[in-house]
Amino acid sequence: MTDKMHKYTFLLLLLCAFATPQAQALNVFACEPEWGSLLHELAGDAIQVDVGTSALQDVHVIEAKPSLIAKVRRADLIVCTGAELEVGWLPQLIRQSGNSKVASGPGYFLASDQITTLEKPAKLDRSEGDIHPGGNPHFQMDPYRMLAIAKALDARLAELDPAKAATYKQRLDDFTTRWQTAIKGWEAKAAPLKGRKVVVHHWSWIYLLTWLNMEQIGALEPKPGVPPTSSHLASLVDLTKASNALAIISAAYQDPKPGQWLSERTGVPAVVLPFTVGGDDRSKDLFGLYDSTIDKLLAVAK
Amino acid sequence: MNWQGLELSILGPACLAGFLVLSTHVPLGQQVLARGIIFIDLAIAQVAALGVILAQYFGMDEAGYGVEIAAAIAALAGGALLTWTDRKWPDLQEPLIGTLFVLAATGSLLLLANNPHGSEHLKDLLVGQILWVSVHQLIPVALLSAVLLAVMWWRRAQLEGLLFYGLFALAITASVQLVGVYLVFASLIVPALATAGLSGPRRTVTAYAIGACGYVAGLVLSAMLDLPSGAMIVWTLAGCGIVARMLLAVAPSKRIDTSVAA
Repeated sequence: MTDKMHKYTFLLLLLCAFATPQAQALNVFACEPEWGSLLHELAGDAIQVDVGTSALQDVHVIEAKPSLIAKVRRADLIVCTGAELEVGWLPQLIRQSGNSKVASGPGYFLASDQITTLEKPAKLDRSEGDIHPGGNPHFQMDPYRMLAIAKALDARLAELDPAKAATYKQRLDDFTTRWQTAIKGWEAKAAPLKGRKVVVHHWSWIYLLTWLNMEQIGALEPKPGVPPTSSHLASLVDLTKASNALAIISAAYQDPKPGQWLSERTGVPAVVLPFTVGGDDRSKDLFGLYDSTIDKLLAVAK
Repeated sequence: MNWQGLELSILGPACLAGFLVLSTHVPLGQQVLARGIIFIDLAIAQVAALGVILAQYFGMDEAGYGVEIAAAIAALAGGALLTWTDRKWPDLQEPLIGTLFVLAATGSLLLLANNPHGSEHLKDLLVGQILWVSVHQLIPVALLSAVLLAVMWWRRAQLEGLLFYGLFALAITASVQLVGVYLVFASLIVPALATAGLSGPRRTVTAYAIGACGYVAGLVLSAMLDLPSGAMIVWTLAGCGIVARMLLAVAPSKRIDTSVAA
């Protein structure tokens, strides 16, 4: 009799052992698609990921939907860019969700805390436009910073879910190898872009341009987030014509009209880059995002 | 279909905010419709936003009650101006309101030429997101609504001149920041429009029922279809208005009235 009971207990325990990893899978909320993609590289099916925004929307502002609050409510971890990029909606979203796990501490992961940002202002002044005191938050187009963030994020996953630490470690090693190989490929391929000048729409390309040794000579927005005036546009037309610019670049979520306007007046091609995962057909993951971005720039460099 | 957003703790505060807005806007909407000045809410909302931007222009901090007071003062000034024009050129009130609207909107753009943070605030003022409403934010609005309703009750239908425009300015300033301009417009106009043939308490009760039905249906649908709540509610408000209109046309008005009131 007792033997039989032991047998059942054993079976029950066995069942639990198989059932629990599924039941305990971490729920992660990613603010932007690039972090959803990175989480997939680092954890695969071991975690459940919800992505809050898409590549075709401006992440400075979002529409409030009930499902967003529900997703943050059940999250064990939120992964966001930080540097005040989501300051307009993330605090409200966390507050409305009432989920203290992700309000601070290990459940709250900001990519900007893991790296140094560029364009960190020496002084904070409204007159300089929509600047972020935490520096420029559009660093998803720097592969080295992405790798540093991947390492920190992997450590965070292991801290929250030690049972799967080995899986996370193995996947990080695998990602690192593939990513470093890819960086070498991209850098070799992008050699013709070195030293070339571009005009940008919003100030969101500084990391990509710094990495590829390209130069930003002007922006359609005279200061970040400030719409252009006619005198600014006039000087931009002259500057673009005079400096043999390679392209006028904007992100997939932005209105292409200002870029096309400048392109018509200067003969410099307007290029729409994906900006994040999902921004065009090829950008299905982080690798595709970088492949597509570099190929689109090379296409106008010929 | 999506059931995960369908939680009282997520939709509850938004629903309460909607009911608060309806409480003052349903009676005010009937006045607005009777006077034929339906764009007044847009104009007052823009003037309130202009007041906030002016306050920031002169160095006021964007957080805190200073901004609310600036918005209310600007809205009251706009209300006073419209009272004066109403008295002076009663036939031209609607085009004057339209002109005030575009002047206030473009005035904000001119002042904001170098201030991007102000433009974020302007957007907040105009678009307001009903889902972000928190219960503690509702307390001052509830107090204000109670005062406005008490004044309306005390004066009955005799809301004339400065009293009407002043009440209207305060109600709009509070509600626009809570739920945004689209919902304010819909809450004012749709219940009044759908009950245009009725009169007296029967009209008010039916209009409140249409409004409440629109907000509840909109919030539930936005959760189930995973769509932005504010825009969804505007459509369900209109839908409830049309259904109510059809019921009123088909059935004898008395029966409808009791069924709605029940």
